[in-house]
Amino acid sequence: MDIPIVEAYIGEYASGKSENAVNRALWLKNQGRKVTLADLDIVEPFYTLRPIKKKLEEMGIEVMAWESRKTMGLGETGNIIKPELRWVLKRPGDLILDVGYGVEGAKTLNLVHGAYDNPYLKIYAVINVSRPMTSTVPDIVEYIKYLGRVDGIINNTHLGDETDIEVIQNGAKIVNEASQELKIPVIFTSVEKHHQDILGNRDCAGNPVFYIQRFMSETFW
Amino acid sequence: MAAKPIEGEKKVFVTGNEATAWAALAAGADIMYGYPITPQNEIMHYWTRLAPKHGKKFLQTEDEISAGFTCLGGVFSGKKAFTATAGPGNTLMQEPMSMAEMMRVPAVFVICQRGGPSTATVIYSQQETTLTCFGGNGEGLRIVYSTESHQELFDYTIKAFNTAWKYRFPTFVLGDGYQSKMRESLVMYDPEARGIEMVKPEPIVRKPGIPGVDRKPIHLRNTYNMEDELYDAVMDIVNDFKKMSPEVVEYATFDCEDADVLILAHGVVSRAAQGAVKQLREEGLKVGHFRPITLRPFPQEELKKYAKKAKNILVVESAYGQFDKMVKENIYGVSTPIKQYFRPGEGITVEEVVQEAKELI
Repeated sequence: MDIPIVEAYIGEYASGKSENAVNRALWLKNQGRKVTLADLDIVEPFYTLRPIKKKLEEMGIEVMAWESRKTMGLGETGNIIKPELRWVLKRPGDLILDVGYGVEGAKTLNLVHGAYDNPYLKIYAVINVSRPMTSTVPDIVEYIKYLGRVDGIINNTHLGDETDIEVIQNGAKIVNEASQELKIPVIFTSVEKHHQDILGNRDCAGNPVFYIQRFMSETFW
Repeated sequence: MAAKPIEGEKKVFVTGNEATAWAALAAGADIMYGYPITPQNEIMHYWTRLAPKHGKKFLQTEDEISAGFTCLGGVFSGKKAFTATAGPGNTLMQEPMSMAEMMRVPAVFVICQRGGPSTATVIYSQQETTLTCFGGNGEGLRIVYSTESHQELFDYTIKAFNTAWKYRFPTFVLGDGYQSKMRESLVMYDPEARGIEMVKPEPIVRKPGIPGVDRKPIHLRNTYNMEDELYDAVMDIVNDFKKMSPEVVEYATFDCEDADVLILAHGVVSRAAQGAVKQLREEGLKVGHFRPITLRPFPQEELKKYAKKAKNILVVESAYGQFDKMVKENIYGVSTPIKQYFRPGEGITVEEVVQEAKELI
C-alpha cells in the first residue's frame, strides 16, 4: 500500500506556508494522488485558503476550510477550528496541513487528534529570508528552535515582484547554512514559475527547486 | 553602544503592520502602549518581539482609553511613545486624543481603519477618516498622514515622530486593514543614514531645575474656568496650527494640469485612482488625480487651484462621504460639479474608477 504523504507547514507570519501548501497539494494531485488540503489558520481573516476553496476543489483537491460567510465575527478574536479538522489525520490519502499565523500558530497542531503520534506526519518550517525576522542564519536558527519539532525546512525566499536570481541564490545559501547548523534538512526551494529559465533544477546550495504558481494573491478576502 | 535596529538600508518583504513596527523602532521610539484590536495586532506583536533586543518597552493596558492616556503619560516623561488602534478602539481613544490636542502632546497614533460603524468588519474601510481628523470634542487640531503603501507606512511613521515633537500636535498615521495585511517589498532604512535628522524628545514634566527658582513651574492644563480663558487657549492652538500648516502639508498630483476630470482620493484608494489615470491617459482622455497626503492640515489652496480648472470632479472613497465632506469644505466657492463614488467598507478597483470617470467625459 502506498505510504500517505502527510505534511504540516508552519513558520513565520507571511512566510509562504499557504502558497506552498496549495502548490504542493496540486503537485501531488497531478501525480494521480488523492489529496486533502486543510486550513488550520485559526486567527487570520486574510490570506488563508477560504477564498480559493471552490477554485481548488474544481481543480480536484479536497479543501477543508470554513466558507467565509458561514463564520461569525470573522477575525475579531480568531476563529473556532472547523470541527472536522480535529480529526483530519484520520482521512485517507495525502494531507497537507496549512498551519497559519506564525509562531503561535504552530501550537494549533495540538488541536488535531493524533498529530504527534502519526507515523507519517512531517512538520516543515517555511522560511523566507526576505522577512526581517528570519533574514540571518542566527535568526533562522533561533526561530526554528523556538517552533518545537521541525522535520524539514522549505526555502521560500523571495521579494514579491522584485525577486531576482540574486535574491533566490542568497536565500538558498543562508537557509542552507542554518539547515547545517540545526541538522535539519532543506526539503526544497520554492521559486515562481517564470524564473525557470534563469534557474535550473537545483539552486546554488544543491536543493531541488519546486516551481510554483501564485494563488494566494486572490485570497485577500 | 547598542547596535542600531537597521543599519544603512535593506530590502525586505513584509506586511504593513510589520513595516509600522520597524519604522517606530528605526525612529527611536522608546515605548508602545497597546491594546489589541484587529487589524493592528501585528504592530504590537512585532514591537514586542523586537523590543527586548533593542531595549524598548511595551505596556498592554486594560482598554484603548487607557492605552491613549498612558501613551500621553509616556510622552510627558520625555519618551517617544506611540500607540495603535482601529474601529471601536479609535472611538474609545478619542478621549485621550482630545487631551493631546488641548495639551499639545506630541503622541503618535497609528490607525488601521476597519469597517464601521461599531464592530462592523475587521477588514478595511476609510470610515475612520472623520474620526481620526476631527474626533473627540475639539476642533481637529491634529496632524494626519494618510498612507497608501508599505514604503509610506515606514516613511510616515518615522516622519510622524519628528512632526509631532517639532510642532507639538498629536500626529496620526492613517492606514487601513488592507495596508496592514498586504504583503509588499519595502526598503527599510536607518533615517540618519539618509540624512533625516531625528527630533530628540524631552521631558514635558519634571524638567531639570527647581520650579520657581531655575525655571517657571510647568502647568499643563486641559481645563479652564471661564469662556474667555478657553477662547484664548483654543485660539492659541489654532494660530499655531495655521503657522505649522504650510510647513507640514503634503499632497501628490497625477496629470492634473490639463485634467477635464479630476479624481480625488486618499490613502490606498489613491492607488486605484493612479491606475485609472494611467489607463485613461493611454486612451487619450484628459483625466488627473489629486491626492492629499496630509488630511490635516488639508492642502486647500493647492486643491482649489486644480478643482477650479477641471470640468468635473470625481470623489472616490471607501466610506459614505467622509472624505467628500472634507473636500467640499476646502474647495468652498469652486463651482465645478462633483460626482461621488462611495463604497463604505469595500475596496475600490482601478476598473471601477475608470468606469466612473468615463461617465463624466
